[in-house]
Amino acid sequence: MFVKTIFSYIKPYKWPAIVALCLMLIELSVELVQPIIIAKIIDDGIVMKNLETIGYWGIILAGLAFIAFLSGIVNSYFSSHVAQSFSFDIRNALFSKIQSFSMATYLRFPTSGLITRLTSDVQQVQTVLFMSLRIMLRAPLSAVGSIIMAFIVNPTMALFLMIGTPILVIFLYVIVKKGVRFFAQVQRKLDRVNRVLQENLQAIRLVKAYMRNNYEEKRFEETADQLKINTMKALRVMELIMPILLFIMNMSLLAALWFGSVEVGNGNANVGELVAVVNYAMRITGSFSMFAFIINSFSRAKASAERMEEILIIEKDIETELANSQNSVLSKIRSIRFDHVTFIYPNTEKLVLDDVSFTIHCGEKIGIMGATGSGKSTLLNLIPRFYEPTSGAIDINDCNIKELELKELRAVIGFVPQQSMLFTGSIYNNISWGKRDALAGEVKDASTKAQILETIENFPNQFDTRVGQKGVNLSGGQKQRLSVARALIRKAQVLILDDSTSALDVKTESAFWEAMKNESATMLVVTQKIRTAKGMDKILLLDEGRVIAFGPHQELLETNEQYKRIVLSQQEQVGEK
Amino acid sequence: MNFIRKPFGYEPVLTKEDLKRPSSKKKGPRASDWKNTLRRIWKIVDEQRALLIIVLLLVVISSGMSLLGPYLIGYMIDEYVVMGNFEGMFSLILALIFIYLILALSLFFQNYWMIGIAGQVIYRMRTDVFNHLLKLPVSFFDKRQHGELMSRATNDIETVSSTLNSSFIQVFSSVLTLIGTIIVMVSLSPLLTLLTMIIIPLMFTATRWITKRTSKLFKEQQAALGALNGMIEETISGQRIVKAFSQEENVKSEFREKSANLRRTGFWALTYSGYIPKVMNFLNNISFAIVAGIGGLLAYKGLASIGTIIIFTEYSRQFTRPLNDLANQMNTVLSAIAGAERVFSIMDEPVEEDNGRVKETHKLLGEVEFRNVSFKYELEEQAYTLKDVSFHVLPGQTAALVGATGAGKTTIMQLISRFYDVQHGEILFDGLNVRDLKRKTLRSQIAFVLQDSFLFESSVYENIRYGRLNATNEEIEEAAKKANAHSFIMKLPNGYNTILTSDGSELSQGQKQLLSIARAFVADPVILLLDEATSSIDTVTEEKIQQALDALMEGRTSFVIAHRLNTVRNADVVFVMKEGKLVEAGTQRQLLEQDGIYANMLKQSGIL
Repeated sequence: MFVKTIFSYIKPYKWPAIVALCLMLIELSVELVQPIIIAKIIDDGIVMKNLETIGYWGIILAGLAFIAFLSGIVNSYFSSHVAQSFSFDIRNALFSKIQSFSMATYLRFPTSGLITRLTSDVQQVQTVLFMSLRIMLRAPLSAVGSIIMAFIVNPTMALFLMIGTPILVIFLYVIVKKGVRFFAQVQRKLDRVNRVLQENLQAIRLVKAYMRNNYEEKRFEETADQLKINTMKALRVMELIMPILLFIMNMSLLAALWFGSVEVGNGNANVGELVAVVNYAMRITGSFSMFAFIINSFSRAKASAERMEEILIIEKDIETELANSQNSVLSKIRSIRFDHVTFIYPNTEKLVLDDVSFTIHCGEKIGIMGATGSGKSTLLNLIPRFYEPTSGAIDINDCNIKELELKELRAVIGFVPQQSMLFTGSIYNNISWGKRDALAGEVKDASTKAQILETIENFPNQFDTRVGQKGVNLSGGQKQRLSVARALIRKAQVLILDDSTSALDVKTESAFWEAMKNESATMLVVTQKIRTAKGMDKILLLDEGRVIAFGPHQELLETNEQYKRIVLSQQEQVGEK
Repeated sequence: MNFIRKPFGYEPVLTKEDLKRPSSKKKGPRASDWKNTLRRIWKIVDEQRALLIIVLLLVVISSGMSLLGPYLIGYMIDEYVVMGNFEGMFSLILALIFIYLILALSLFFQNYWMIGIAGQVIYRMRTDVFNHLLKLPVSFFDKRQHGELMSRATNDIETVSSTLNSSFIQVFSSVLTLIGTIIVMVSLSPLLTLLTMIIIPLMFTATRWITKRTSKLFKEQQAALGALNGMIEETISGQRIVKAFSQEENVKSEFREKSANLRRTGFWALTYSGYIPKVMNFLNNISFAIVAGIGGLLAYKGLASIGTIIIFTEYSRQFTRPLNDLANQMNTVLSAIAGAERVFSIMDEPVEEDNGRVKETHKLLGEVEFRNVSFKYELEEQAYTLKDVSFHVLPGQTAALVGATGAGKTTIMQLISRFYDVQHGEILFDGLNVRDLKRKTLRSQIAFVLQDSFLFESSVYENIRYGRLNATNEEIEEAAKKANAHSFIMKLPNGYNTILTSDGSELSQGQKQLLSIARAFVADPVILLLDEATSSIDTVTEEKIQQALDALMEGRTSFVIAHRLNTVRNADVVFVMKEGKLVEAGTQRQLLEQDGIYANMLKQSGIL
């Protein structure tokens, strides 16, 4: 019933699970013995007016009840330990797998879908596991027990009880199959709800600025409605089980009753047998509501398990390491070379980088310029291997970066993304994020270089100032400088800045670049500003994914028309319009 | 002993003090009062009273049928089979078939409609909480993690959903059976009934003992789940940085910590909630022993007939079964309450105050005045972001805001859009205090190009149309052309119909900005706010759209934050901000003549 990979996560908890099952069996057997004892109390005690017998069996009953109680309570501990640890392990495994995704895989699984899997889907499976360890066996066992008893009493009559079974089996098979499909659909709709929620939370200012409450409300209502419709559909299909099961069973019971009474009439059976079989049949129907509930939960859990499995079985699109990596080249980077690199984003057709070739040497500072959408950010994203080139190669010291261990490669790179991407937490934690063991002095030093120290020290709580999600409470320039400080603290050999000083004022920005002059790191800097580019050793000019010029400012100014146009566009003129 | 205190190494979640303190004192009396929470859920459920009554009637019918069936079978055996009288049997069997058919149908329809009711209730709660979220002030969101809020609208509401679907009918039918049994019991023997009831206080105490714990634990569990959700959302959204800094292992261990916290609270919640059926079973047996013992004694003394006692022991078992079921449902209901409480606590957050007395359709002229405005964000204690700022911009004027980062420029923009309310001073539009204007009046006449550009998961058309919902496709294309976005849009696989995603990589940051600008073009506002609108756009492209922007600003009051002097030069007035204060104001020429801070700034950056 369950998906194999998910099931294997129970293995470590085999023993507690077995203990839980044993405890459940103890409880169950006490429950089975109980009616016998009660019958004894009534028949031998009350009817006979024998107080001693009542007392004797009463104590035994109480003793057994106490044992059942104790097993039940202890079972609680074991079952919830197994269920919770199992889901804990699955969550961790899922999260670890997600962490190993390549950036291309992230594009396939939107954040919202991953969130649902890690919470809601895990929860579904956990609930069923807990239930299984506590009550799952009860309904089937009591049904099977009753059937066996019926067969012992009178096989032919019992056979009549079974007439409906083939229909039931087929029916359940169909329903469960449908149920799993529908529940998977429900979880997917939940992804959508998460998605719209996330979008709106991220863009709350935009929604407010354009007064789009009604529009977004309608959009959310549609998504929530989809979820509602799908949930109702899934539940309603599953809800068919109980009445149909009950009806078929009751009809079988009537058939058995009819046949039984004919047998009794013919003198082939006695009334006692008939009554017993009817009683067993009623006991079977009594366990049906539990049955229906179990089947329902299992279908739902199966759907969730399959969704988790989708993540866990991903082997191809994760970041992989070559066995014999050549990390030694990273100890001293002498050159970085792009060798006929082309790149197309997964599932798209557009050539974002087109035959890009250039070489930079140790300590050089390279400015990357070009029109919006010309591939600047993409180029930078290839260096830490967020994406692999579609063709061509990127070499460090003549060694293809594919052959380097990712962790080691990224350790020598300080990366400042275009969007600052800060995290909830203190300023201190955000800066030391890239180097968890950083000393206070290093944090301060990095802040100084990023020109943010003074600002931080002016905050009432200084380095302990809390940063909201994505740095909502900071100004654009403050966010950028924190993001820069986070990279600088790593003292990386290669520094990648993706237009990371765009929100800085002229004064702060020039102070920053002044400070950067003393850095020995090789730098790749995307910038829009000629002023910044002038300070670079060389400028790489991109146009629609192709390199159209590569050289120092002066050279480009003399030889390249497009560069000249950029320079011209930035001639600052002071004066009246 | 250690196993009892810390089973499997799980640290206890609740301390003695936790249990001593009544839950209502801990937080606001409204939100944490579970009776109140139930009432609020009920209010939503009650909206479908007609359907609810039908469902309850069906429950009555199905309960009746499920009693009638066995009764008739018993009757049939006694009166026909035993008597060897088969003649009337066939019609009885037909009657039984009919009864079971009705039973099946009523079961089906009661569930069918109950699922409908639950679905609608959940839908209402979900959309209500979302709609409420959108009405909350921006400052509310500054303090929360997105994922945590998302968890409330998904995971927390889900607990209510499963409870409504499974427990509602169960509770009702249990109560029904209970009442029926009590009536029969009292008519048989009031004395023995009383005896059976002895365990009720015991059951009550036990249930209280457990639910006192589980209700807190469920709440903790939902909170832990929310925290985990928050962490997941934030980490995965920032995955690029995690990778760039090789922080996978650290992030994983942080996750493990939060995940372990959920495991711990979940362990205790599950364990304690697992107690209930066991305790109930135990008490049932005790009750049986009492009835049997005392009943035996009564029979012995000849005070009751043996038949009565036998029937009674059977009924006392029947009596405890629905009680047992009820106690079991208690847990699901409590988990739903824990979830619902977290949902309602959002709905109790005060919305953006919006009691402007000016007509909603009021047309603004575009005059903006700040009068001694001081403002601080809630997140930071003490420090004011704006200190005593006053300025006056006339309709149609362009004001440029310059100054170092963090000087308060963006804050001014946010205040003009009334994302926040000021602590001191006033903001006036056409001489009207901003608090007197409806938000809709104000914002529908303002267009805002934010520092960070956002896209929604929909087509390019829809993303630009966001600026004005009734814009035609032609108008959108026109705006896109002006914003210089047309050419790259045409290169997308489906042109304007390409579906963009919020976290996708189809577009570069600069292209997203161009779309934001196109959005502002479409909006046709009275007041235009451009906060670094072109920061990620290359200067050649910027030059191209600058003309269009100039045309857009023509005749509208515009506030522009830009570092580029060309933009500033065209402004009617330049406001120089420094550390939250407005230090200089005037045209560029005046400021240069003053030779003050602004002139100094230009000198330092080597422009002058």
